[in-house]
Amino acid sequence: MKSPLGADLVIPALALGFAAYFFVSIADLAWEAKANGVMIGGVLVLLVAIQVAKIVIQLARGRASLGFEALWAPRDALAKRIGLVGVTIAFIATLKWLGLTLGMLLALFAALWIMGARGKALLLIPIAVAAAVYLLFVMLLQSDIPHGPIEKLLS
Amino acid sequence: MTWDFLLGQFAAQFGLWWVIIPAILLGIVVGILPGFSPQNTLIMLLPLTLAVPVEQAMAFMIALYCANHLAGGIPAILIKIPGSGGAAATTLDGYPMTQKGQAQQALVLCFTASVFGGLITTLATIALLPWLSQIGLYLRSVEMVVVMLFGLTLIAVIAGKDTLKALIGGFFGLLVGVIGTDHIYNTPRATFGFLELYDGVPLVPALIGLFAISEALVMIEEKMIVDQAGRERAMHARWADTVEGLRLSVQKWWHIVWTSFVGLFIGLTPGAGASIAAFVAYQQSRLWSKHPERYGTGIPEGVIAPEAANNGVTSGTLVPTLALGVPGGSTAAVMMIVLQYHGMVMGPRLFATNPEVAYGVFVSMAVAYIFMIFTILPLARYMSRVVLIETTYLAPIIVLVTIVAAFGERQYLFDMSLALVFGVIGYIAHKTNYHVTAILIGILLGPLFEQYLVRALRISQGDVTVLFSSTIGNVLWGLLVLSLALPLWRGYRQARRQTVV
Repeated sequence: MKSPLGADLVIPALALGFAAYFFVSIADLAWEAKANGVMIGGVLVLLVAIQVAKIVIQLARGRASLGFEALWAPRDALAKRIGLVGVTIAFIATLKWLGLTLGMLLALFAALWIMGARGKALLLIPIAVAAAVYLLFVMLLQSDIPHGPIEKLLS
Repeated sequence: MTWDFLLGQFAAQFGLWWVIIPAILLGIVVGILPGFSPQNTLIMLLPLTLAVPVEQAMAFMIALYCANHLAGGIPAILIKIPGSGGAAATTLDGYPMTQKGQAQQALVLCFTASVFGGLITTLATIALLPWLSQIGLYLRSVEMVVVMLFGLTLIAVIAGKDTLKALIGGFFGLLVGVIGTDHIYNTPRATFGFLELYDGVPLVPALIGLFAISEALVMIEEKMIVDQAGRERAMHARWADTVEGLRLSVQKWWHIVWTSFVGLFIGLTPGAGASIAAFVAYQQSRLWSKHPERYGTGIPEGVIAPEAANNGVTSGTLVPTLALGVPGGSTAAVMMIVLQYHGMVMGPRLFATNPEVAYGVFVSMAVAYIFMIFTILPLARYMSRVVLIETTYLAPIIVLVTIVAAFGERQYLFDMSLALVFGVIGYIAHKTNYHVTAILIGILLGPLFEQYLVRALRISQGDVTVLFSSTIGNVLWGLLVLSLALPLWRGYRQARRQTVV
């Protein structure tokens, strides 16, 4: 069976893309500003080239395919994983309006539901965690995290 | 400094138990949470520390600082999420111990290595203070370049079977670490147009993303983070496991001693911190071990080395602060502000004009460590039960709470998004064996390495031979070459022996 090595190219592709952007961004700078980056970036490009060559050889010998299974497996966890990332993006995006406490309450409720939690835990955990983060971040540490309706009500 | 004076200092510090114990508890809570560094907490509590007498303020700050260093290892061991950069190396063997059902032993090893490592180096600092304060003067940028390289060689060490992937991860991290303005002209590099990246990639969101979020995204594949046998052990956690952890600590006492001195040595240099100390100690511990191949599989030495070293740093960091007036780190800088507010003048004269404060700081640290072992050791049994929480509940809590913690260090919403980006990168790296630890080592050490390298080259006007121009530096180069050559020599000998057999 061919081993799916497409996923192995994602980090090298990211590294290569970033190295290219890095080189462009430092092109006009003084040597002190680029010496380290050029040295590191140069070695990185070389290492990526070796890794790509290794995979190409495997592909040429018919031992590997360009599949991405390693990233998705196991399939039954994929929906939960995407859901968790989606909820986190929504939490960050709405934090300015909902504030920490309400945002955490709703996001954790949604995340737990996606993960398959049901019953009392689905309500009690978000309430307990939202209360804990309110106490720690807002009351005790007085951080500048956005305040929403709950923080305004309690202030 | 006489014995009477020292004993009087110890008695006075023990009398401040009512300040030290709450500070330890707060330090532990803050240390467990990634994103809340001791300096941030101390800055938030400045109004309190400025209002009380200087002895009480210092006792509070020192206890919080030390407890914070200790507590970073707790989530690193239990859920593979280091509470701070200094605990990142602890995940390498701490988490595998948890997966084997030895969470309680790993926690006890972490606590004893931290406490005794911190205590031994603090007592050594008190005894050797006049000499130690001079070491910082001899460790300049040239020598620090080599110290950084000691840490960076760990990238190859942790690689296991796939060195190429670890090197790609490490160099990717190093390049990410170069993001931000350069050290000479302050010109921005590869910031994607974000002002928030001008100061470089913030460590906390990188740490949270690469470890906490990526780990949470992976852990949902299983119902629990430990297997059935590990669950059984955690469910029936007994005091005997704590005793077993203590027995292992006693057995490895020499390991605690020498790795804590690695931390002290690195801590003496302003700017170097617990992260580099922990990685260098882990690398050296593995190097001189009789069974290096077992590192990364969950062995006691792999927990002891980084924990003893990152607590050995605590006293070292304060030496240049008090003796030279150069803060050894950001937490030490906050302490310096408090001392100066109370009219203390930093520098060698402090030891003559205010010995009760100068030496009192280190005595306070020793006393804090003594209190700490009695406060935290009994908790290991109960903490180890965290592994019994199902991933259905654990993963969402980890992701959402640590995302909020990412906000803590700089108070930017941007850092929360950055943590998520690093989380996705960490997840991909995790699933394809590109070693998130190698990426993190690069991000952690990259900026420091560049800072020292560029400074050295700037002084020599671009002449690279400056890197071999000092005696101490050359000794360190020799040790570095030895560090790299020794594993190769061992491998060669082993291969020869097998051929003969």
